[in-house]
Amino acid sequence: MSETYEYLFKFLVIGSAGTGKSSLLNNFIGNKFKEDRCHTIGVEFGSKIVNIGGKSTKLQIWDTAGQERFRSVTRSYYRGAAGALLVYDVTSRDSFNALANWLRDARTLASPNIVILLVGNKKDLEESREVTFTEASQFAQENELMFLETSAKTGENVEEAFLKCSKTILAKIETGELDPERIGSGIQYGTGTSKRLSAPKKPVRTPSDCACRV
Amino acid sequence: MLSEDGVEKRHGPPGVNSRSLSAVHSAADLEVLREIEHVYFSAPSEFDAGRYVLEHAPVPPTCETIEQMFIKLKRQQQVVSGKALHLISQQRDNCDKQFAEIQTIRENLSSTLKTCQEARNHLRTASNHLTISTFVILANFRKRQIIKSVLKSLELLRSLRSVENDVAELLTRKEYYDAINLILKSRKAAANHKEYTCIADLAARLQDTLDMTEEKLDSVLSQICYNFDESIFRKLRKAYNLLGKTQAAMEQLHMHYSSAVNEASIKAVKNNLDTAIDAKFQELCQAVPARKAPACLLNLCENLFLIMKSYYLLVEWHNKFDIDDDKASSKVLDIERNVSREYIRQKLKAGLLRIWSDVQAKVSTFLKSIGVEDYPFEKFIQMLGVLRRLTQVAEVFCGDKSDLLQDFIQTQSVLYIKNYHRGRMEELKLFLENEGWEQCPVKSTFNLLNLQEFKQFKKYLTVLRSDTTVINSKHSDGTSSAHSQDESVYIMKYFTQKTSHTPFEIFRNENLTNDDIFGVETEVVSEESDDEPDELRRDYVDENERHESCENQSPAKIKNSVIVTNTTLSVLRNCGQYLQICRYLPQISLEVVMLMNQLFDYYFYTVHLFFACDLEVASTTLYTIKLTAVLKRMSNSIAALDSGYSERSFPSPESPVHLDMASEANLHGLSERIVAVESVIFLAKQYEMLQPYIESIVEPHQRLILEHFRDNTLQIVPDLRMPVYMCSASKSLDARTALIAMSQVKWDVKNVAVEHSPYVDMIIRKIQVFALRLENISAKVSLNLEVLQSVWAMVSKFIVHLLVEGFSNATKCSNGGRGLMQLDYRQLFVKLEKISGLKPIPYQEYVDRYVKAYYLPRKGLEEFVCERTEYSNKHLLALVTCACENKRDRQALIALVEGRDGTA
Repeated sequence: MSETYEYLFKFLVIGSAGTGKSSLLNNFIGNKFKEDRCHTIGVEFGSKIVNIGGKSTKLQIWDTAGQERFRSVTRSYYRGAAGALLVYDVTSRDSFNALANWLRDARTLASPNIVILLVGNKKDLEESREVTFTEASQFAQENELMFLETSAKTGENVEEAFLKCSKTILAKIETGELDPERIGSGIQYGTGTSKRLSAPKKPVRTPSDCACRV
Repeated sequence: MLSEDGVEKRHGPPGVNSRSLSAVHSAADLEVLREIEHVYFSAPSEFDAGRYVLEHAPVPPTCETIEQMFIKLKRQQQVVSGKALHLISQQRDNCDKQFAEIQTIRENLSSTLKTCQEARNHLRTASNHLTISTFVILANFRKRQIIKSVLKSLELLRSLRSVENDVAELLTRKEYYDAINLILKSRKAAANHKEYTCIADLAARLQDTLDMTEEKLDSVLSQICYNFDESIFRKLRKAYNLLGKTQAAMEQLHMHYSSAVNEASIKAVKNNLDTAIDAKFQELCQAVPARKAPACLLNLCENLFLIMKSYYLLVEWHNKFDIDDDKASSKVLDIERNVSREYIRQKLKAGLLRIWSDVQAKVSTFLKSIGVEDYPFEKFIQMLGVLRRLTQVAEVFCGDKSDLLQDFIQTQSVLYIKNYHRGRMEELKLFLENEGWEQCPVKSTFNLLNLQEFKQFKKYLTVLRSDTTVINSKHSDGTSSAHSQDESVYIMKYFTQKTSHTPFEIFRNENLTNDDIFGVETEVVSEESDDEPDELRRDYVDENERHESCENQSPAKIKNSVIVTNTTLSVLRNCGQYLQICRYLPQISLEVVMLMNQLFDYYFYTVHLFFACDLEVASTTLYTIKLTAVLKRMSNSIAALDSGYSERSFPSPESPVHLDMASEANLHGLSERIVAVESVIFLAKQYEMLQPYIESIVEPHQRLILEHFRDNTLQIVPDLRMPVYMCSASKSLDARTALIAMSQVKWDVKNVAVEHSPYVDMIIRKIQVFALRLENISAKVSLNLEVLQSVWAMVSKFIVHLLVEGFSNATKCSNGGRGLMQLDYRQLFVKLEKISGLKPIPYQEYVDRYVKAYYLPRKGLEEFVCERTEYSNKHLLALVTCACENKRDRQALIALVEGRDGTA
């Protein structure tokens, strides 16, 4: 697809097995919800161009397997991620309890500056909820995470989660807190970048064919 | 009688009653009467009595005789008179009576006359009176008649005035024939009443009504385009027949169909626009937002289908009913009708193709405008399905194979696939660049059939492996001819008037699978899922096996380890997708397969690029000819990093920075190298597994290309092990220190030593460390014997080269020295055999032959020098220098070696 975008963010979706990471991603990139999904093997990939504050931004999303035995495989994808959705299942206390480990992995393996959004998925299953909104908010606050509850089934808050995370990254770029030029930042300039935000270190690429067709 | 009366009067005395006389005289009288000559009784006009008597006077006239005669005559006269008197008296009463009667009759007559006159007078008056009233009556009657007719006319006029309303009502009741009939009759009636001044006006209005009605008919006719209703059309046709415009109506109808195609297209597109605009169809198409395009295409096809269906029914109707519509007609009319009918039939027949080409043009314009290649796979497949359905519809509709659309589909498909492929390649590049080259934990029996993407192919692939031919024929038969027949029957169902469904409806179904779209059989899935439900559900990953196998089994015992990376799986999944595309686009199978092979190439190339780039030793013997060729071919299609995208080439992946390939502790990334190479080998095996199936879906003449790929790419993949593993082997064994150690050995010893040289122990120690580290790796990666052997083979290859290199550094060498060499490498190989488990050690003849060449006679040495190209000039020169004591021989051989270099 011929595409123009100003930024490319590398995103991770992490969290315990069965919390609905792939469903979130699939919902986000526009696939149908499948009730009975298989576990993800290793890593899957999806990308989408979104518009954040008037800037078209390509999200390169790595959907990692939650199962423990894939840790070694998935870890190599953490490197240089700009943002992550840390997913737990509101109906599974275990998945919530495992968050601290996931968080540590993400901060050590990806980048300390990684922007993480805590996602409590499966909020549609209210009757079997095990983790309250309040305690999750508290966890998020303590660990300086953003927080949203979503439902990949109904699509509630799914796009918001990705957008919120992306907005924060963009805001951090604008304040200079994140430097897209730094290697491993998980941020790249896209084909349509005009590079107004930071002093151009590389020659500015001419925005090719700006008649956006998307 | 008169004469008699006269006679009688002469006989009777005048005024004497003769009755008394008569009795006395009767007898004598009678006698006298009798004596009277008859002649006296003649009428006096004819007879003159005097004369007669004179004539008959007696001759000679004597007085006597005369007297006598007188007396006689007197007497006679008396008698006659008496007699007459007597008769008269006798008749007197009668006469009186008669006279009285006459008198009465006379009176009667006069009264009658009077009555008659009165009657006449009465009659006259009566007749006078009668005539006048009759005339009045007649006049009145006539007047009445006239008034009646005027009244009739007026009523007619009144009805004429209401014709408009009646026609309108008839039209709403869809009685077109009656409406037209009414108007025509009214017109005729109006024409008959031209004498009324209002008629002119009325006639004009009637004409208007007729025009309006015709317009109405026309609009109804135009509605036929969207929904052919037999009853309505029949009525319309009758009406047009009445108007004598059947043919014109057909022309008109065709025009309507043309504009209906246009309008329906525009409507479909407009419905899918965000903002309403008025523009040409093409501009409208371009304004369709991408997310709505598939729905829009569906809409478009559905709308167009309705028109095609309507037209189809129209043609059907003509074929069916037109013939027996009007049989009873004169022959002349018949001929005329037949000509017209034939004309219409031709027109209809041509119309089928024309409408289809209109439809095709619309759809093509739409597709060209929206740029099919930019859509996600699912959407594309869906759109393709819609188009395919449309071509099927066309086949039923007009028997057209819709080459135009097919070609379009094909070129678009190729475009799409190329674009899609570019996306996959970019993704693959991304995957490869981020790949950690960790072994993905899958079952030891894993193969691509465990992947969901191959679920549908399971049947073909598993059977294919055992019996290719059977399936081949079955496969090709099963899908082509028989299938299309079913399809047309299926499509046919939608071409009936009763159904309001369209064959495109299935595309509205959310849960539609691609198989549904393409009508490809799906039984495979259900059948297989019964078979191995666990495997699919548990996603071919074995929970515990990996840990068990790694910890409890020694590496050498693992036979079926499957080493795949995340990227391998992703490539395989893509293959599944590509093959699915083939299923839906059999005509471009080869293109798709070639692109699929390109995925493999790229993976292969990347592994080589990442893991053999740091090869430090001479590569000539590490690369087989085919491997070199294949890498060359691949690098041609993979552009240099900065040259960007082009039609045929893809950018080379950037070497990963996150891999630690320099640390000795992990054998310079040997673990990653093994995972990488073995994953390519596994991938190649999977590709090979697909080959028979792929061969079955491409044209027979294209199979050669596939075979070439298999023989020259897939089957040489294991060759990649050598250069890649050599990287680790060469780095880990530290050639420099070994060579230094070897250079310290004195090779010109007199006696054969009993102890091997110290460098051997040094190398062995290195090997031991290597083995230990390899053991560590095998805890992470399930190394099978083959992998281990190939790693060790590289170790031993490196060692033999190292030894030859080291030996060739010896400028002086005695027999004893040569013996030491043998002792050294024998010792080394024994140890290596023990550590590596390789028996015999491969490549050992390389050093063995080199060392033993020392003992060859001059002739043998000469041959050796000429034939053994695997040794470098340096090696050979050293050999010659040591082995040849004769100076001339030596120089000849050196010349030979150097000459070899020159010719080589």
